[in-house]
Amino acid sequence: MISMRHVSKTYPNGTHALYDVSFQVQKGEFVFVVGSSGAGKSTLLKLITCEEKPDGGELSVNGEDLVAIKRREVPYLRRTLGMVFQDFRLIPTMNVFENVAFAMRIVGASRREIRKRVPYMLGLVDLLDKQKSYPAELSGGEQQRVGLARALVNNPDLILADEPTGNIDPALSFEIVDLLSEINLRGTTVVMVTHEHNLVKHFHKRIVEIHEGRIVADTNGLEANEA
Amino acid sequence: MRSLGYLIKEGLRNVWVNRTMTIASIAVLMSCLLLTGAAGLFSLNVNRAMGTLEGNNSIRVYVRQDVSSLDALRIGDEIRKLDNVESCEFVSKDEGMDEMRELLGEENASLLDGLEGDDNWLPDSFRISMKDLSQYDETAREIQAIDGVDSIYDYSDLANQLTRIDNIVTRVGLVIVIALSVVSLFIIANTIRVAMLSRRLEISIMKSVGATNGFIRVPFIVEGIVLGLVAGLVSSLLLDFIYYRVIDALGIDMLFRVINIHHYLLPMVLAFMLVGALFGALGGAISIGRFLKREGGAVVGW
Ligand SMILES: Nc1ncnc2c1ncn2[C@@H]1O[C@H](COP(=O)(O)OP(=O)(O)OP(=O)(O)O)[C@@H](O)[C@H]1O
Ligand SMILES: [Mg+2]
Repeated sequence: MISMRHVSKTYPNGTHALYDVSFQVQKGEFVFVVGSSGAGKSTLLKLITCEEKPDGGELSVNGEDLVAIKRREVPYLRRTLGMVFQDFRLIPTMNVFENVAFAMRIVGASRREIRKRVPYMLGLVDLLDKQKSYPAELSGGEQQRVGLARALVNNPDLILADEPTGNIDPALSFEIVDLLSEINLRGTTVVMVTHEHNLVKHFHKRIVEIHEGRIVADTNGLEANEA
Repeated sequence: MRSLGYLIKEGLRNVWVNRTMTIASIAVLMSCLLLTGAAGLFSLNVNRAMGTLEGNNSIRVYVRQDVSSLDALRIGDEIRKLDNVESCEFVSKDEGMDEMRELLGEENASLLDGLEGDDNWLPDSFRISMKDLSQYDETAREIQAIDGVDSIYDYSDLANQLTRIDNIVTRVGLVIVIALSVVSLFIIANTIRVAMLSRRLEISIMKSVGATNGFIRVPFIVEGIVLGLVAGLVSSLLLDFIYYRVIDALGIDMLFRVINIHHYLLPMVLAFMLVGALFGALGGAISIGRFLKREGGAVVGW
């Protein structure tokens, strides 16, 4: 699903965010990416979504070579990805239903498909009764579930979540990761960036640790718990 | 595209959300279109007036009323004898009446009813041209000296003056129109940029879910086109209204047959709307081109 070999990233201002990073994610995996602030976690995700270009190395996502990808092909790559943001990024002037439907409109879904699929997704994140509410009327956890429904609505192969639990309290964080695991069990690959250790410890998943731009550990959940 | 309806709706929503700026850009685009239209109509009318006047280089010699047509022909022979006269063409009073009729146009021709035939008060005349216009004064004096000649009118002077005015109006008009076009494009682009900034969160999300740049553009171009269509419609109707007000006020429809834009109202409205829409679309395209190069969080400014 994701294959990185000797990838480095330097920002235009000279900051070296990643050095010689190599790692693979297989289809159907669930991976936590952890590391302290400024370690390069978000940069890693940005490379995968083509927001940033790597300096060098090999990078492919879903079989697509991201080093050679053309600008106009990027949107089609992104349609196979689902993004979840720490700050939710819901549109305040749209209600829950519209926020999710929005993502479908963009890829040219018909109204019938939207009417069928959006309620299904909202049911999945348990927000069917809130579909007429506006983001400001929802709790943080609920807003993040809307974000999740939006990321999932186009049936992506890969979910990328950058600290999706960063702005909500711990109990709700578990709820969100539970949901992501459930989605993962249905076959969607999940990469989730976090620095909440409790969360990582509680769920027995693969953990990739980044420190100052380098991968310093890559363990499956069981080993990590023993350590 | 299945979502075209949605995109157009979004464009219209931009117009509404953004209404103060929208009105400002419509106003500027309208003044641009109005001025272009006014300069164009002026020029067309000047050309029309010159067409009905004599040709460029022509001088008219009028014979006294009491001179008979036969005597008038003799006067013509005398004029032809002058060195500096190149051609001399007899224009009978009946032909003069026909010309007058032509000049006034169908609408006003009835003024001349009852003045034809024996009641024709127009004099016979000659349309002459000179070999060397620099000797105009001298030749004119010689003609004036011929018995039976009443007066000489040099229409070439008027024609020259009209051409000069037309040239000035065209040139000044062109400069103003170009300046206003740039200003309208700038203001439209800015209006749409405001719409875009107010929707940057949506744009960043659109990008992250895989919207193509073309798709993101559509509502903003629609916004520009709507601005242009409205400006084109209002300004063409306004131009029509003002045109006839000005003609009435100046009374110039008595001098020659002005261009009747009522006949061309529909094509004019359509042309104005088309130009407006092109401007709007261009303004929209300019304002989002650079913006779309940004990626992800940079769109929102995170
Ligand atoms: N657009 C940018 N331009 C320049 N430098 C950047 C940019 N984005 C990130 N950096 C730098 O790159 C390094 C890695 O940043 P990154 O955002 O990947 O860290 P992170 O691991 O996600 O941190 P956090 O946990 O705080 O989100 C940091 O030193 C950061 O200052
Ligand atoms: Mg980060």
